[in-house]
Amino acid sequence: MRDYVKGGALTEVTFYILLSLYTPKHGYAAMQFIEEKTGGRLSLGAGTLYGALHSLQEKGWIEPSGSSKGRKKEYAITAKGKSIAEQELRRLEELASIANGIMGKE
Amino acid sequence: MEKTCYRFFGGFLSAQEKWLNKMAGEGYRLAHVGKLAYKFETYGSGKVQYRVEFIGAKPKEDAEEYYGFLESFGYRVFYKNINLNASLGKIRWRPWAGKGGKIASNATTYNRELLIVEKADNGKPFELHTTYEDKQGYYKALGKPYLSLALMSAALGISMQAWAFCIFSACSLIPFGAYQAELFRLKKQSREKEW
Repeated sequence: MRDYVKGGALTEVTFYILLSLYTPKHGYAAMQFIEEKTGGRLSLGAGTLYGALHSLQEKGWIEPSGSSKGRKKEYAITAKGKSIAEQELRRLEELASIANGIMGKE
Repeated sequence: MEKTCYRFFGGFLSAQEKWLNKMAGEGYRLAHVGKLAYKFETYGSGKVQYRVEFIGAKPKEDAEEYYGFLESFGYRVFYKNINLNASLGKIRWRPWAGKGGKIASNATTYNRELLIVEKADNGKPFELHTTYEDKQGYYKALGKPYLSLALMSAALGISMQAWAFCIFSACSLIPFGAYQAELFRLKKQSREKEW
């Protein structure tokens, strides 16, 4: 995943996955969460989600959550993941406030 | 009612996918897959959709985990062979595979190089790979076996002065080229759009 390579922004997919895992979920539930929150605009393929979960786990931003076993492996966001997500929220807020200033919306 | 068809698609994943979806449109659903045989059962027309996915570059544990992951989405998943070989106790070297998948045997992913994935059709498009970045990784993995096949047979052909190997080498460059073209198209698209 190319997060943090360009300009310190997370990809939308990464940010939504992190948000979905503030309460532990298995893959299918995370996909449903994202689809529901975005009104179907962002729909992740199972293969893409599988790869993303693996790469986020390698980064230490998420971890398998305790109770889960076998087929339905649950994941949860880690402390490191939370700090990354908070940083991203601040970046987006800054961006939104600059954009509002320029585009003339109070 | 059951129906058995015999087909061999080899590395033509999209042809296999198209045919399975055509059968689904005619009211058949896959019940069992053999090396050549596809057993179908009658089912409502157009009720399921199929995708065929290459997993031969994944190590065994990863392939099995992926299989389980897809099943947890409510999909039906079948392993499928990509080649037609007698395969008792066979061991294969896959220089193009990822770490842990370089040696494939019957106990691991040999003759289980493909997954056929079936999803109940709910009107939404069925894609396993949805971001440009992930798609690029997938097409890279698809092209690699053909490139290494081409290189190895070219080396054999040149060292043994055997034309047959050289022709075989050139032939295996065709699918590699096709996947590279797809990769190039995706890269171009991803420059204009995030995913």
